[in-house]
Amino acid sequence: MSELATLTFDGPSATLTLNRPEQRNALSTDMLAAAHACLDELEAKASPPTVLVLTGSGKSFCAGMDLKQVIIEDAGGIETPKALLTSLAKLTHRLRLLPSVTVARVTGAAIGGGCGLACVCDIAITHADSTVGFPEVDLALCPAVVAPWLVRKIGAGPARRVLLSGGVMSGTDAHELGMIDVLADSLDELAAATNAAVRSLCSGGPLALRATKELVNSLDGSLDLDVLLRGAELSEKVLSTDDAQARLRARRK
Amino acid sequence: MITVEREQRDGVGVRVIWLDRPDKRNALTPGMLTERVSEAETAAVAGDAVLLAGRGKAFCAGFDLAMCQAAPDGSVMRLLLTGLSDACRTLRTLNHPVVVAAHGAAIAGGCALLGGADVVVADRNAVLGDPVVKLGVSPAVSVPFLRQSVSDGHARARAIRPETFSGDQAAARGLVHVLVDDANDVIERALDEAFRLAAIPSNAYASTKQWLNTIESIVHRREDEAGLEASLGLTGNAEERERLGALDFGSSKKGTTP
Repeated sequence: MSELATLTFDGPSATLTLNRPEQRNALSTDMLAAAHACLDELEAKASPPTVLVLTGSGKSFCAGMDLKQVIIEDAGGIETPKALLTSLAKLTHRLRLLPSVTVARVTGAAIGGGCGLACVCDIAITHADSTVGFPEVDLALCPAVVAPWLVRKIGAGPARRVLLSGGVMSGTDAHELGMIDVLADSLDELAAATNAAVRSLCSGGPLALRATKELVNSLDGSLDLDVLLRGAELSEKVLSTDDAQARLRARRK
Repeated sequence: MITVEREQRDGVGVRVIWLDRPDKRNALTPGMLTERVSEAETAAVAGDAVLLAGRGKAFCAGFDLAMCQAAPDGSVMRLLLTGLSDACRTLRTLNHPVVVAAHGAAIAGGCALLGGADVVVADRNAVLGDPVVKLGVSPAVSVPFLRQSVSDGHARARAIRPETFSGDQAAARGLVHVLVDDANDVIERALDEAFRLAAIPSNAYASTKQWLNTIESIVHRREDEAGLEASLGLTGNAEERERLGALDFGSSKKGTTP
């Protein structure tokens, strides 16, 4: 398995770590492929872990899309951003459908697609001064892949406000909005808060947890992969406009 | 009546559509709803953001019930319900930002208009709600839109319970997004919000808004027409006639929802 994402096991829980710390775990096709491979390994297990923690190595959980792969002239064509968006859409769907309860441990920052990964998890945990949000529209982009997950997480009205307003917010504000379920006062306390949440979840019956998660998934439309793939197509279309490409190039400099 | 002002900052335009019947707490007439839709569409054609606001002490106290009472066959009520549904749907589907400044009060049809907004600004003590079942009127028309803003549980309770709630409570439920302390500051804050949204790249804004509408129709199975039909189905019946007929507008200048 590539080291761009790693999977470790600890009793009834496992941890999937995004591992491009120098790039603040920005989403690249390689790293997403590595994350998919981790899920292959998890899904192959006869007895899946009760809880899967999703986290990032280094200072940030995930800084969003890798600019090199969404600037079309750098990526060598539209195929790379297209593959990236489709892979992200499928990864979010697979995470949602995992039998394990998923917990996002958000250190530092979860931006754009990275924030989407946090929102797709059953429980999201961060610290008060982290930076999270969806600034896509500021860059003339459309957060279409992650929008369904934010709508399901915080409801359509608040999601509308967050996605249409762009910008980022603190962990505290995200907690108030319901994007974050558990808030640690500081980064130093994040590990303890995550461990406590994982212990608490693992005290539940694994079959009961799995059945409950499956039910909630079927009630809120989480099984629908098609809407995510349509979202990937829309994101790709908006991303390829001159305005978006110009803003992305300006961001690179 | 409706009046319109265009504000401009740094080359970005916001069209402020005013409900302008302050002596009637901006009670809605069928003509105002039609004008409002048409002004919002005009703003969109010009590429402007839309800010809906009310003159006087309150954003909007609901339908003009004196007009409804004067038409016991339900004809005015039908026009208002249909106009309200059209207004919410138009605002929802505009490609440009729509902000509502709900200062003071947004009652019944006034509260329903919040369902068309991208962002709602209100004061903590504003009075909001849709207590029209008291009048034998069904608020079903607004439920499909408000379900997009609040959870199904809150939408159900809001529609069925003939009670009002505060701006603070509305913010906690997701119906209000920006809360200010003083009602006098709501419109200025809402204008700032409209300018902020208007500065976002328009293609990204439009694509994201349209996509959210698509997701909502998938996740929530939007049923705008069913809501309107449910409200219209009740209009003009004996219960509504009796309850509307019992309102005494002689003792009140309001002429709106009690």
